[in-house]
Amino acid sequence: MKFFENLIYTILESKMKKFLVIFLIALAFIGSVMMFPSKIVLAKMLPGKSANTFSIYVDTPSGSSFLQTTQINECVVDVLKKEESVKDIEIYNGMGSPLDYAGLVKGSSFKMGENVAEIVINLTDKHHRSETSYNMVHRLRPLIQSSCEPIIQGTSIKMIEQPSGPPTLAAIAIELYGENQDKLREISVSIKQILQNTQGLVDVDVMQDEIYKKFELVIDKEKMIRSGVSIEQANQIIYLAFEGMDIAVKNSENSLEQIALHLVLSDATKNLHEFSKDALQKKLSSLRLMNPQGMMIPLNEIVTIQEVDSNPMIMSKNIKRMVTIIAETDLVSQVYPLLEARTMIKEKLSDRYIINSSHLFDYTLKDKQTGEVYELVWDGEMKVSMDTFRDLGGAFIAALILIFLLMVIYYKSFALSGIILLGSFLSIIGVIVGHWIMDLFTQDTFFLTATSLIGFIALMGISSRNSLLLIDFAMSLIKNGMQKRKAIAVATATRAKPIFLTAVAIILASTLLASDPIFGGLGVALIFGTIVAVIVSLIFVPILMDNTKAI
Amino acid sequence: MQKSEYQVTDIAGKLAKAFLHSPLTPLLGVFLLAIGYLALIITPREEDPQIQISGGTIMAILPGATPKEIENIIIKPLEKKIKEIKGVEHIYGMSTENVGIVNVMYYIGENREESNLKLYDKVMQNMDQLPKGTLPPLVKPFDIDIDVPIISVAFYAKDTSKTNQIKLYQKVKEIQTRLNTIKNVAKSEIKGGHKKQYNIEVDLDKLSGFHLSMGQIVTALKSLAINVPDVTNRTHDGKLVVFGIKNAIESVKDVQNLIIAQYMGSVIYLKDIASVYAGEDIQNHKSASIVFKQGENFTQTTPQVTLTLSKLKGTNAVFIAEDIKNSLQQMQQELDKEAIGYIITRNYGERADEAVNELVFHLLISIVIIAILLMFVLGWRESLIVTFTVPAILAVTIFVAYLSGQTINRITLFAFLLSLGLLVDAAIIVIENIHRHLHVSESEHKTMDEILIEATDEIGAPTNIATIAIILTMVPMAFVGQMMGQFMTPIPANVPVALFASLVIAYIFTPYLARRLLKKPQHKHSLKEEL
Repeated sequence: MKFFENLIYTILESKMKKFLVIFLIALAFIGSVMMFPSKIVLAKMLPGKSANTFSIYVDTPSGSSFLQTTQINECVVDVLKKEESVKDIEIYNGMGSPLDYAGLVKGSSFKMGENVAEIVINLTDKHHRSETSYNMVHRLRPLIQSSCEPIIQGTSIKMIEQPSGPPTLAAIAIELYGENQDKLREISVSIKQILQNTQGLVDVDVMQDEIYKKFELVIDKEKMIRSGVSIEQANQIIYLAFEGMDIAVKNSENSLEQIALHLVLSDATKNLHEFSKDALQKKLSSLRLMNPQGMMIPLNEIVTIQEVDSNPMIMSKNIKRMVTIIAETDLVSQVYPLLEARTMIKEKLSDRYIINSSHLFDYTLKDKQTGEVYELVWDGEMKVSMDTFRDLGGAFIAALILIFLLMVIYYKSFALSGIILLGSFLSIIGVIVGHWIMDLFTQDTFFLTATSLIGFIALMGISSRNSLLLIDFAMSLIKNGMQKRKAIAVATATRAKPIFLTAVAIILASTLLASDPIFGGLGVALIFGTIVAVIVSLIFVPILMDNTKAI
Repeated sequence: MQKSEYQVTDIAGKLAKAFLHSPLTPLLGVFLLAIGYLALIITPREEDPQIQISGGTIMAILPGATPKEIENIIIKPLEKKIKEIKGVEHIYGMSTENVGIVNVMYYIGENREESNLKLYDKVMQNMDQLPKGTLPPLVKPFDIDIDVPIISVAFYAKDTSKTNQIKLYQKVKEIQTRLNTIKNVAKSEIKGGHKKQYNIEVDLDKLSGFHLSMGQIVTALKSLAINVPDVTNRTHDGKLVVFGIKNAIESVKDVQNLIIAQYMGSVIYLKDIASVYAGEDIQNHKSASIVFKQGENFTQTTPQVTLTLSKLKGTNAVFIAEDIKNSLQQMQQELDKEAIGYIITRNYGERADEAVNELVFHLLISIVIIAILLMFVLGWRESLIVTFTVPAILAVTIFVAYLSGQTINRITLFAFLLSLGLLVDAAIIVIENIHRHLHVSESEHKTMDEILIEATDEIGAPTNIATIAIILTMVPMAFVGQMMGQFMTPIPANVPVALFASLVIAYIFTPYLARRLLKKPQHKHSLKEEL
């Protein structure tokens, strides 16, 4: 202890040494902050968490039949069956799987129609398997997509992981607003291509119906009136014949539900032998309507068949027409692919549109020919991250101000309050460097996350306590008649033990946090932040105390 | 300063003085631990914290309308009306053929019941503005806590010759009713079930061969399937006579033998032109299946019926899941008889319990590590004192959390882990100062009590301020908005409580235990600390 007391005393005595310490601390501070722009430390809202389950969403193009979707499902299941750690696979065809947190915002419960399916994969317990679920998803994704997507052109297979924090629609979502629907479709397709070519982005999809061919039966009104049948009758019979209808129900005493009497044409006679107008024409010729006179009128005589495009769904958000393009990130932060894609969009679309930045990352696109304006808004996990980081940053500044005010009330001195604040702020060096060190030692990228920020905010209070103990003790020593520099040195040496002890307690308590995927950032921030806080408060703060006249 | 008794200046010294000799102190300690343990047992457990998401879906059907028509006459007017509701953040409209869907999202944290009511109210008020021919709109509020099932069970037929899809569905339906009676089970749903129905598959060629139309079959069927309640009549002397027509359809045979028409003198039965059989709902293309490991290999894709169950808000996922599991086990024999197997494909209760237990275990390890560290630096008695304060502080925190209606989840426990490093601090600082004072030569002529109170009092002021500073840093976190803010709430809610408890407990119990466990050293040598 005597040694430490002397060390502090000699530093305080020499102007040169004081300057050196201040210089080193300043250098460390600048160096660590520079790790952000240089991408040595990467930021992400929340890292992935290893779970015992993940899902696969299969979307065959609109207009595909359930048989085609089943075909894709079977392909996916075949790939999964080769996996050692898969326990069971649930397949839900034509509907969403039982709702989970991811599905809640991804619209799983609204899924219907023959072209959708969800597959839930349950894995063996994560403690008994070497591979984390996110690494497994990362490995299987290209395997499944390359072998199953080509079966039906336009199929999209998405791998869905359970979110470690609050669920979002997708890692990156681009909302494209505009009135002209066809143009929206056109732009969305080019953006989709850009995203697909962006490093780190996977599962890119445009959330809109594909346009497919369908047949429209146009009724010849004159023929219809002359033959004495009605449009209603024609509609009903067509629906009845091909879709089927529950004509009546039978109540049953030993069943919980009514039994329906379902009338439909048999599959063998209902199905067309090929996808063509003629085949449909032929089929309709054998379907007849009976007019009030009891005469049979073949359906094909009162209608003409036209091949047309299907009407895709129109989406709108806040009363504006919108198309959403979504993409997931593959083990990387969404910040950097976003910036890359953003630059690419500007580059690729500039020849047809005048592109201006509007709010934050958002763009407005103005058609050079027609002058129509489209808005491009970034949403998804990215947006949530930005908002969270912004809010946490605000919380951090609020915490700084609150601590400062508290210290001013306690010491009635701005200089001392400033010292404490500065001392605690410098723990940021440890937070950033800590993430860099962890990134070097872990296999997966170690991101600076929202929880790291929370750790940093908590650190502010912890390191301010170190300085407080020092200043308080030094002041009471001076009051007892000790010389200022001597008092600072004695106080530092005496309080070094509890400061050191509490720091070790925090570090030890946080080591277990550091191994957690979500709260790892918090743990690392606390561990390394505390180390730096101890160094700062034992060496740097005494210098500041010596330099101030407030003591 | 020598003779006169030490004047306590801080609340720390006052607390230390008041409790130093009080017989209530050990009682208080036991009491704190007891309520903490109780709270740990009874507080509902779940994996993720509850997030208040309010919103809902409105679905309106207008048969025969194209997406553009739906957009113009249903979606847009509806969106405009919903925009008038306060607290709505986003409105999503979807216009497809025949159907218009509007999804409403409220700002996160908006009161759920109120939001649901407002939405329902708005739609009902504007019913008259919907276009003619629109079916009554469906308003469905969603509820993250009730809608996300905590358990899902896949039932499958072990032997398809014994159990078909319909039997399976009927059995699951029966099980559903039974499991619904379990306490705190909220919503249950069946996915992938196929209902029983009589299928009448008409052969188009025969239909045209017999010169019949589909309409004739419909008329014939409808005339058969009418059920009328019994009529009552009276005899002349006032007695009641009840009679009625028996249901014409008793079995599928009755449908098969339905006469559709008479054609050239002979009768055409339904079975002549159609295959009529009791089967499953063939028009339902939704299906669920499962592939699972049996020994080393995977089974074939087997059709299954999934039953999902969710819990009421604020109830214990662990207990409910356990109850459901037990009920299923009780049905085991019954299910075996019908050759139905089941796999629990989701169990959030188990996951929640696992996560909670793992974190509690982590918490314990951390405490032990810190205790060992202190043992080396300060001595085992001192270490014991600090170690005791930890469970006491956590006990208070958990109890407060329970009282404020929180649940034990991942984030709450992380709040505890986060505060663990902080909450031993007060006790460490107090015990360290006591330790230092005991070994300083100045205190040789002071009594033990005096030293204890003085040592506690001395560091009182800076420790108080420092703790308030840490609490202050946590407060702004409560104002972080969005989902993340909701997700994180347990941290600003619990860390300050833990810190405050750590202060009070350090001031009360550390001097008390120190008086019991530590002795004033007799040695007269130097004033140096031992390190």
